[in-house]
Amino acid sequence: MLKVNNVTKVFSKGTVNEHTALNNLSLELKDGDFVTIVGSNGAGKSTLFNAICGTFWCDRGSIVLDNKDITYLKEHKRAKDIGRVFQDTMKGTAPDMTIEENLALAYSKGRTRIFQSAVNEKMRRFFREQLARYDMGLEDRLKNKVGLLSGGQRQVVTLLMCTLAVPKLLLLDEHTAALDPATAEKVMEITKQIVSENNITTMMITHNISQALTTGNRTIMMDSGEIILDIPADERENMTREDLLNMYSMKKSQALDNDRILFS
Amino acid sequence: MSLNVIYGGLELGFIYGIMALGLYISFKIMNIPDLTTDGSFTLGLAVSAVIANQNHTWLGILFAFLAGCCAGLVTGFLQTKLRIHPVLAGIISMCGLYSINLMILGSPNVNVQRQSRLFTSVDNFFRSMGLDFFGRHSAKLVVSFLAVSVCVVVMIWFFRTHFGFCLRATGNNEYMVRASSINVDVSKMVALMLSNGLIALSGGLIAQYQGYADISSGNGILVVGLASVIIGEAIFGKRSVAVGLISAIAGSVLYRFIITWVINSGIFTAQVIRLITALIVAFALSIPAFKYYITRFKIKHGGDQSA
Repeated sequence: MLKVNNVTKVFSKGTVNEHTALNNLSLELKDGDFVTIVGSNGAGKSTLFNAICGTFWCDRGSIVLDNKDITYLKEHKRAKDIGRVFQDTMKGTAPDMTIEENLALAYSKGRTRIFQSAVNEKMRRFFREQLARYDMGLEDRLKNKVGLLSGGQRQVVTLLMCTLAVPKLLLLDEHTAALDPATAEKVMEITKQIVSENNITTMMITHNISQALTTGNRTIMMDSGEIILDIPADERENMTREDLLNMYSMKKSQALDNDRILFS
Repeated sequence: MSLNVIYGGLELGFIYGIMALGLYISFKIMNIPDLTTDGSFTLGLAVSAVIANQNHTWLGILFAFLAGCCAGLVTGFLQTKLRIHPVLAGIISMCGLYSINLMILGSPNVNVQRQSRLFTSVDNFFRSMGLDFFGRHSAKLVVSFLAVSVCVVVMIWFFRTHFGFCLRATGNNEYMVRASSINVDVSKMVALMLSNGLIALSGGLIAQYQGYADISSGNGILVVGLASVIIGEAIFGKRSVAVGLISAIAGSVLYRFIITWVINSGIFTAQVIRLITALIVAFALSIPAFKYYITRFKIKHGGDQSA
C-alpha cells in the first residue's frame, strides 16, 4: 500500500543548524496494516508523517502510495487519499463552523460539484447516525460550533472527518496525547473501531509504549531519522514494555560502540 | 430629518453596503487584512465613468466588477504564490492601482454625462411607466436596493455551497484546510477576487450616483467599510455568515445616518467626517481590550485575598 524508499530530508542545509531529520529511511506497509511508531522526541516520527503528507518534498528518495508515485505531488492533492489527525485538538477542525458544516466539508472532499449546496438533509441524517455510534453526546449538537466542544469531542469529530470518505492511509500523530486518560482510552477505542471496520491502512505515533505494543499489528521504533527496530505481530505478542526498552538501549549502545570504533 | 435626507442616507448606505460586503468577506470570513480596497474602489469608479461616457452604462458596471476581480487576483497572487505579507501585498496593489486609475480616467476628475448616467435612464423609464413613487429618488432608491439585495443573496447562496465552505474553512483554520484536499492558494485568490469585485462594483455605482469620478474618491474608504462592518456586528452580534453579510449592510446604512446626523447637528464640519470615522473604528476595535482592563480592575479592587 505505502512504500517509502530511501527517503532523506536535511533541514537548514549548509548552515551550522544543519539537521538530518530523515536518514535514508525505507518502510513498506501492506494493505490493512496498522503500524504503531515509538521513539524519543526529535527521532523524526512527525517528520516522516510530514514527508508522506507532502508538507515538504524530500531531498532524496521516493514515496509510493497505492502504486502511485506521490513524491512530488502537492499536499492538497495527496490529501484526497490521506487522512491525518494531530495531537493539537484545534488543528483538525474549523472552530467557527458547526459540526455539520465541518463534517460536510470532509464528506464532499475531492468531489467536483463545487457549487452544490454543501449540507443537505440526507447528509445530516447520516452524520447524526455516525455520531450517535460513538456515544459522545454529539448527535444532538450538529448545529453547535466546533470551537465549543471539549478536546475529546473535537478529536472524535476530526477522526470522523478523516474517515467519512475512507482514505487509503490514516496518519495519527499522538492524537490522544492531549486528552485525559479516560477520554484518551475512549478515543482510542473509537479509533480502533473505525480502522478495523473500514480496513484502513494506518500509522500511529504514540509515547505510550504499552499501547504501542497492544495496538495494531506491527511496531516500529525510530531514532535520529532512522528505523532502528521493526517488530512484526508474532514477535510482539509476548513482549513487555521492559523488553522493548531493553532492545532500544542495546541498539543505542551498539551505535555508540560503532562511533567509538570510528573515532578511536 | 427630512424625507429627502432619509432617502439619500438609504441610497448611499445600500451602495456603500456592497463595499461593506466585500470587506466582510476579506476581513471577517477570510481573516485577511486586505488593503487593496482604496485602489479597487477608485478602479471601479474610473472604469464605470469612462465606459458610461462611451454610452455603455450597463457594460461599465459589469466591467467595474470584473476590473475589481482582477485587482483582487493580483493581490491574491502576491500573497499566495509570491508569499508577500498580506498587508504589504494589499499596499503594493493599491499603490500600483493609483497610476492605473489615472491612466483610465485620463485626468484626475471625469464627469459622467447626465444622459449616460445609470440613474438617469432608470429614472426616465420609471417616469414613463408612472412608477416614480418616491419622487426624484425613485430610481436611486430602487436601483441601489436591488443591487445590494442581489449581491447579498448571491453571496449567501455562495457561502452555502461546497466551494463557499472551502473558503470559510480556509479563513478559519488553515492547518485543517492544508490537511484536507482544498487548495489554500486558490481559495484565498477567489475570495479576494470576489471581495474586490464587490468593492469596485460599489465604486462603479457611486460614479453613476454622484455623476463624476475623482482619483481621490477611494482615499480612506477602507475605514468607512470597516466602520460599517463593525457597527453591523455591534447590533446583530457574531452569528452565521448570512446574518453577518446582512448586518454589514445594515451597518453601512446606519453609518450614513450617523454621519448625516453629525453634519446636520452643526457641531462638526464636513471636514472632520473621516476623523470621526477613524475614531469610531479605533474605539470599536479596542472594546475587547477595554473589557479586559475592566475585568482586571474588578478583580484587583473587588477581590478577596484572604481566601
